Amino acid sequence: MESFEGNIELREIQRLEGHTDRVWSLAWNPATGHAGIPLSFASCSGDKTVRIWEQNLTSGLWNCKAVLEETHTRTVRSCAWSPSGKLLATASFDATTAIWENVGGDFDCVSTLEGHENEVKGVSWNASGSLLATCGRDKSVWIWEVQPGNEFECVSVLQGHTQDVKMVQWHPTVDILFSCSYDNNVKVWADEGDSDDWQCVQTLGEPNNGHTSTVWALSFNARGDKMVTCSDDLTLKVWETDNTVMQSGDGFAPWRHVCSLSGYHDRTIFSVHWSREGIIASGAADDAIRLFVESNENSADGSRYKLLLKKEKAHDMDVNSVQWSPGEKRLLASASDDGTIKVWELVSPSQC
Amino acid sequence: MSEKFSPALRIGDLNDFIAPSQACIVSLKGLKTNATKPDKPEVSIASKQVQSEPVKISLKDCLACSGCVTSAETVMLEKQSLDEFLSNINKRKAVIVSLSPQSRASLSVHFGISPLQVFKKLTGFFKSLGVKAVFDTSCSRDLTLVESCNEFIRRYKENQSIDNERSKSSFPMIASACPGWICYAEKQLGSFVLPYISKVKSPQQTIGAVIKHHLYQDMGLRPEEIYHVTVMPCYDKKLEAARDDFVFQLESHGEGQNEASSISEVDSVLTTGEVLELIQLKQVEFKNLEEFPLDRLMTNISEEGYLYGVRGSSGGYAETIFRHVAKTLFGRQIDGPLNFRNIRNSDFQEITLEVEGKTVLKFALCYGFRNLQNVVRKLKVGKCDYHFLEIMACPSGCLNGGGQIKPKPGQSLKDLSQLLETVYMENVLVTEPFENPIVKNLYDKWLEQPGSEKARGHLHTEYHPVEKSITSLLHNW
Repeated sequence: MESFEGNIELREIQRLEGHTDRVWSLAWNPATGHAGIPLSFASCSGDKTVRIWEQNLTSGLWNCKAVLEETHTRTVRSCAWSPSGKLLATASFDATTAIWENVGGDFDCVSTLEGHENEVKGVSWNASGSLLATCGRDKSVWIWEVQPGNEFECVSVLQGHTQDVKMVQWHPTVDILFSCSYDNNVKVWADEGDSDDWQCVQTLGEPNNGHTSTVWALSFNARGDKMVTCSDDLTLKVWETDNTVMQSGDGFAPWRHVCSLSGYHDRTIFSVHWSREGIIASGAADDAIRLFVESNENSADGSRYKLLLKKEKAHDMDVNSVQWSPGEKRLLASASDDGTIKVWELVSPSQC
Repeated sequence: MSEKFSPALRIGDLNDFIAPSQACIVSLKGLKTNATKPDKPEVSIASKQVQSEPVKISLKDCLACSGCVTSAETVMLEKQSLDEFLSNINKRKAVIVSLSPQSRASLSVHFGISPLQVFKKLTGFFKSLGVKAVFDTSCSRDLTLVESCNEFIRRYKENQSIDNERSKSSFPMIASACPGWICYAEKQLGSFVLPYISKVKSPQQTIGAVIKHHLYQDMGLRPEEIYHVTVMPCYDKKLEAARDDFVFQLESHGEGQNEASSISEVDSVLTTGEVLELIQLKQVEFKNLEEFPLDRLMTNISEEGYLYGVRGSSGGYAETIFRHVAKTLFGRQIDGPLNFRNIRNSDFQEITLEVEGKTVLKFALCYGFRNLQNVVRKLKVGKCDYHFLEIMACPSGCLNGGGQIKPKPGQSLKDLSQLLETVYMENVLVTEPFENPIVKNLYDKWLEQPGSEKARGHLHTEYHPVEKSITSLLHNW
């Protein structure tokens, strides 16, 4: 990994307006940003809509290409692209998850997944795009299997959490699901053995150095052997597992706590995202974005991670989501309660 | 489940399929109040601490609230059924116990004796406590099954007639015996699904109706003297018993005053686990108890002393109706067990009848919440081509109900399930419900014939969509 020594700057490229309420979450389309396909991402909001943004290849500026509306009747809380970038799943407080198909830039709602008792909060596709997970306020995590013809079949309803489940995230390579909750726990789910159903195989909670308050989000490093979680307890926590065991498929490789990044945040951390090259971005209730990298020196809190930079007042209000882009450039998008989205580029002053 | 619940409840590890929801209208002591924290901090004005009495929540509150789907487990705290059961015996009520065959199987596996022995010993045990009679819900289930067969044929004919609005919701007919499913359908799914659900009462409510509308006479009792308790594999049965639909008014004709008193078909429900608790509480060596003669009035026991009933450990609804309809509508006599095919998993099985290359009947067993979701999904988009669905909320069906005795240490749920399946039909002669002499006699003396006005009056019920409460819609974070 390249070292990020010296001056480095998070430069605002563009501020995107359009949503009329807080922006909850955003998701980059993984199939864009290479082979001449312009970068694109989706954002979702309290205004019940989803917006699709695309970069103009000549000007480099971002335009809203589509507004997905009149489907969800309440806040759209999160969104996720299938690995092929063909399908977008959107989770809403209206208790449904909508599946949108991208047909030449037009988005058709091709399926609606019902079943959650009330607000759906999170949605995630597995690496192959064959499974979709959702979670919500009813404390449950649902796993759906994608069938031909945009049909979805429920394969499991998991009841392990004792409170609101904030986010679900599939592991980037293996079919293992992670969920984090207001019950302060991260739970790991796998389809093991002969029981023909999914089970909780690990709970990362307070007894194993886990969080002491709501866990809001989690993200994996590029190799998939490390995971970072963020919480209302004002810390980021890094976890790791045995990659060889996990990839071999010989049983479940448990996760263990590596370190906690504390003392950097003084308000709730809502979002965390690990870039392909190893930079951890966090978005928090103090309106700031922070970037962390692994370092050889031991930092003040004894962790092996150091603060690379802090962007104060990144937004006028809470930063709800931060997401690194695919493609070559170090682009970061952030979504906020102030109703805007910002696209940032990480640059060294020499590049100015 | 909250760790603050009583140990008894925690040991229960109740797996009735959905835990109490946060939108419950009544905040319970011991529960985290304001369970969902706003995603955003909100300004709050410090208010005076109000000293309040612990809130009592009744089963009826639960039924009326749209906050959660099933919450019988929570309500257990207040309802303490065992104490209530014992106190009613002491009040010199005529206590009648109706035992489910699933509970019988669970106790049989637990004590390592046959289901018939369990039944006889349990009869002795209950009688030693002062219980007047112990009946068998596989007997009332035969009545339920006869009525269900009749309803299916009525729906089938309705479906054949064109230009009938109602025919659209004739199929699939959905079994009504699972109270978890009924609660879910009424609270979460609402009116679109309710017309599909069989109007016939569950075996629990059927035996309640038989006892309190008819059998009391044969026993020389008055309905208001009877305290009727069922023993069930499932906590949700407690909610079922508390439904307003299963309470009737009795006019008393005494001293010129016409006072109406409310009579419940089933006054109380004990789970299998609670009966085990009672046995332990009374410190009896169950295996050494005497085998008492069974009460034949409402029990499937033959002259020769054999138990009899239908196959199918969740009530045999799909199996019985399929067999009956194949014979009466299509002239196909099917002997031996039906050949259900696994579709997705062992909790989703299907059977079809083909006549001249055409599928004329398509039935399915659908157990557990995930499979239930998929059929509901198909039903909603109009792609459900089943004629009958035996839906049960619990995975593996009723033998695995939340009220059954838990696996012993080291025993897997799967092993226990297989053991229960085997034991369930032990000592039981497979017999058509239409051949049941007690059922025949009830029609002859009381109900006239299947589907008659009398039968519908006593053995059928209605379902009601529960409106979403405002509070359950107000959260906006």
